[in-house]
Amino acid sequence: MDVYDNNTFTGKDDFPRKILSQLLGSNGPVHAVTYSASPGTYILTGSADRSIRLYNPIPASPSSSTTTSSTSFITKPSQALSSTATPPQGRLIQTYTSHGYEVLSLSVSSSNATFASSGGDRAVFLWDVSTATTIRRFSNQGHTAGRINSVIFAGVDDSLLISGGHDTTVRIWDVRSQSSSRPVQVLGEAKDGITSLAVSSPGGGAEVLAGSVDGRVRTYDVRMGRLVTDVFPGAVTSLCLARDGKTVLVGSLDSKIRLMDRSNGQCLRTYGGDGNANGDAAGGWMNKEIRVQSVLGGGERWVVAGDENGAENSNGEGRVWAWDLLTGKLMAKLGVPWGPGGGKVVVGRDGKEKERKNVVSCVAWKDGGFGNQFCVGGTSGVVTVYGEA
Amino acid sequence: MSYKRSRATFEADLTAQQSPYVFFGTPLPPRDPEVRDDGSYVPIWKQEVRDERGRKRLHGAFTGGFSAGYFNTVGSKEGWTPSTFVSSRTNRHKDTPRAVQQRPEDFMDEEDLADAEEAKKIQTNAAFAGLGSTANDATRASGLMGLFRPQGETMGVKLLKKMGWREGQGIGPKVRRKARLELQNDATAQGETFLFAPENVPMIAFVKKTDRKGLGYAGESGLTPIGRSGSKKGSHGDTDDEDEDDYGALGRPKLTIGGGRKKETSKIRGGIGIGILNDTGSDDEDPYEVGPKISYNRVIGGDKKKKKATIAANPTLQAKPKFITKKAASSILGKVGLGVRKCHDGRLPLDGFVFGKESDALTTEINSEGKYPPPQIPPGWVSSKTPKSESARGSPANYVSTADVAKASTLDPKARAALLGEKQLPGKSVFDFISSASRDRLAAVTGRSDLPQALGEVPAAYARSEAEKQQELLDRVPKLNKETAIAAISRGIGGGAPYAEDEEKRARYRGYLEVQAGFRPQLPPKPAKLTDEEWLREFHEFFNCARIFKPMTGFMASRFTTSSSTKSTASTTGDAKEVVSRPPPKPEDPAEEAARLGMFGTMTRSVTDFYPTRLLCKRFGVKPPAHVQPDDYDATSEKKKDDVWSQFQSYGYQGGGGGGPGSVERELLGLEFGSTGGGGGSTAMADLEKGGEAHKPAAVVLDTSRNEALEGKRPGDEVFKAIFGDSDDDE
Repeated sequence: MDVYDNNTFTGKDDFPRKILSQLLGSNGPVHAVTYSASPGTYILTGSADRSIRLYNPIPASPSSSTTTSSTSFITKPSQALSSTATPPQGRLIQTYTSHGYEVLSLSVSSSNATFASSGGDRAVFLWDVSTATTIRRFSNQGHTAGRINSVIFAGVDDSLLISGGHDTTVRIWDVRSQSSSRPVQVLGEAKDGITSLAVSSPGGGAEVLAGSVDGRVRTYDVRMGRLVTDVFPGAVTSLCLARDGKTVLVGSLDSKIRLMDRSNGQCLRTYGGDGNANGDAAGGWMNKEIRVQSVLGGGERWVVAGDENGAENSNGEGRVWAWDLLTGKLMAKLGVPWGPGGGKVVVGRDGKEKERKNVVSCVAWKDGGFGNQFCVGGTSGVVTVYGEA
Repeated sequence: MSYKRSRATFEADLTAQQSPYVFFGTPLPPRDPEVRDDGSYVPIWKQEVRDERGRKRLHGAFTGGFSAGYFNTVGSKEGWTPSTFVSSRTNRHKDTPRAVQQRPEDFMDEEDLADAEEAKKIQTNAAFAGLGSTANDATRASGLMGLFRPQGETMGVKLLKKMGWREGQGIGPKVRRKARLELQNDATAQGETFLFAPENVPMIAFVKKTDRKGLGYAGESGLTPIGRSGSKKGSHGDTDDEDEDDYGALGRPKLTIGGGRKKETSKIRGGIGIGILNDTGSDDEDPYEVGPKISYNRVIGGDKKKKKATIAANPTLQAKPKFITKKAASSILGKVGLGVRKCHDGRLPLDGFVFGKESDALTTEINSEGKYPPPQIPPGWVSSKTPKSESARGSPANYVSTADVAKASTLDPKARAALLGEKQLPGKSVFDFISSASRDRLAAVTGRSDLPQALGEVPAAYARSEAEKQQELLDRVPKLNKETAIAAISRGIGGGAPYAEDEEKRARYRGYLEVQAGFRPQLPPKPAKLTDEEWLREFHEFFNCARIFKPMTGFMASRFTTSSSTKSTASTTGDAKEVVSRPPPKPEDPAEEAARLGMFGTMTRSVTDFYPTRLLCKRFGVKPPAHVQPDDYDATSEKKKDDVWSQFQSYGYQGGGGGGPGSVERELLGLEFGSTGGGGGSTAMADLEKGGEAHKPAAVVLDTSRNEALEGKRPGDEVFKAIFGDSDDDE
């Protein structure tokens, strides 16, 4: 029955299946995880407990007490952690608390000096990493209603911040101008909430992609002044651009993740759902309700996605799915355990014990999909870091 | 027992015991401990001065004597000091449990209160007080007239005053003329003209003659002192003043029963008993004037003289000799004996004419009732001035006017033309062309039965075959949207079809819908019992009936769902989770359909223009696209125009996926006309939609029920912008 081939997998690929560490400390579900900019040493987590936490995912194990990140990174494979029952804990470095509501999205600038966050309070916060204070708060004339689901740096030298949220608008903020509180531009074409944003890499053209609940991915080509709208059968919840900008991974609520050719809008490959059963009918990847992130990983060889359903017979343990990018074959299903003290009984409002699922909603791959490590977060509040065994 | 009770215990006893002096019956319950009714001694420091409303009106120094500021204040030697300071920051005033309610009455003294009471009385406006008003007896003195004439200003006067008119002025545009000063100082007034309000002109009053005196006879003039009449002659201004005196506002003659004129004359009246001691201080009156008690006017209109205020202020002024130009003197002297009043057009009366005397119209009316009947013509009197050629004119008895002659004639124009020997006109009468029904209607309207019979001819140029007529009739059948027709048919299947009681009519309705939906090539033949008009009217009725089922588009479709009743009864609870009503599927967006089928590519992709701001381009490090370049005026205007469409798209009309502005526009127009337009709107839309394929340009048929120029035209972009445009600019 063991479809959760965390450690039993004996194949040849080098998919990082091993749990390196768990990042604890959140008092509620984790909504956003992101690696710091290259080389991606640190992990930022945005939690429903209104705080952002900065972790070093490499545990301070007594064996490798030299804890500069680079050395620990190298020494990591040598650590024999496979036998331990509870994975080690990552080190919490900093907690950023200014948000008044849950934190839903994070974006780290390429210089690693600042990062941006957004969430339930209708403002985008720009943080200074070292001092743990907000530099700017883009809120005036900002999103008028609802949450900001996504925020991302853009432009030359990360001079822009793009945010999109429940009010169906994408707003572009100028980070450099200190005085202006107005957005540079408001893109109001979407007819429903913006769930995800992506920006083509600075060299690859100035394009902003916005995925919306109305089932459209709108690509705003700033250079050409074109707006390309691609229709998807379900609400778009996740966008991940390939590094070359030619393809984009689109996750939508019809239980499918699609790799789209951006030049002509054709679907190159579909992952998950029934169309890609792979003989594993019992556990087809389903995503119909919750925003679940999907990313490209391992040098764009794999497609990794969270799961809104817990694994069967495992106390609601979460799952991470991985597909081969080229063939579309299911490669791995990794169990995401509850953290320490996790999986506890939750009593609902009616006094009965509630079934609890560890929804894995956010995934981040180190170094923009080219590192050898990824982390997932979800309702358990624990961020699990996977690395190569 | 030598101990004396303290006052406190005594008082406590007093209030606890009920009434201390009751021996029979039930004692009254104890009263409020604060209130004493036993007439016992109250020390002066406990006495409070309160006014009749129970308020403490005397504070501080006014409470009385040297104890002021102590006894009757809050009780401390220092007077009032706040016991505890409560910051209003934390403890807002509104949070206090019982906020002190202050009323305006608390700050009023008796006078103010009396005024307030007075203000509460309801009474009618003075203008309504004409009947039964006893408010002021002075106005009552005017008596009977008060019934017929509104007191105070009339509405016309009020309106005029709002428009800038003032009493004493005439009505009309301002007149440029020289200043007419009291002293006619020609040297200074030379050439200087000013704008003046036009002079007031009196209204013409036609006075019924009530006496038997000759026309223009004004009765004997009264004896007037020479000095008075002489002084009057000199001043032109006086006559003006006299005019004003005679006429009320707006030149209305003053109608007072005991008028001022009588009073004036009574003043003049000299008497034996009046001596120098009775001098009223007026220079004008000569107390020693000898004359009859009844004074007659000897000068028409010049009988009264009112002192002018300026003259009174400077009595010597009147006597001062004045220079009067020859022209002015001649004109004035010519008129002055006739009373220098002006005609209603502001001009002096013609030479030799005099103004009629005005008197009270009402009293003359009353007096004239049979009082002065016209003299009886003696029987047998024949006028000596008979017309010379009486026989030529014919006797007046059988005189018949031309109109009567014309009426009596039975000839119609044709007959008259024949009599006169004219040729028949080539044209035909209107009645040759109109139908007999129209002719009957005309006859009914005009009330004339002698209208010629309608022939209902059709000119050769307009004559049409039977098939053409039929075709024209069919073209006038209102066009229904295909979707609407289908929806209406499907509604009819469900049992909710109209005309359930008339089987034939329902069949016709059904046929009409099927034709409009395209299921049937042509309409069923016209039933024999219906005329063309009725048939057509029935189609319009069908159209209006089916129009209700127009499927909603755009936003509205997603907002509403058709109600449908579930037929499932309790026995068929196989799927209990089934929702009660399931919204019918929306009209499918082809792009979404393609996406569902996995046909990604051109089907699911739509490309529109996007206008990044210049700052955005700068921050992205790219050159702005060509259509954002600001130095191109056309481009910007184009952008504006396209922005409207992008606005539409952002408001939910993007859907089409390649639909483009045209379809949006059509949809919009459909929405607009579908919701607001009456009978014709949707027809026009259907025609528009059919557009090229169905519209045959050959047959130009005038349809009176709609105006294509009004309904078919597409509104300009400004209209859409005004309706849908975003109010805040995003620039």
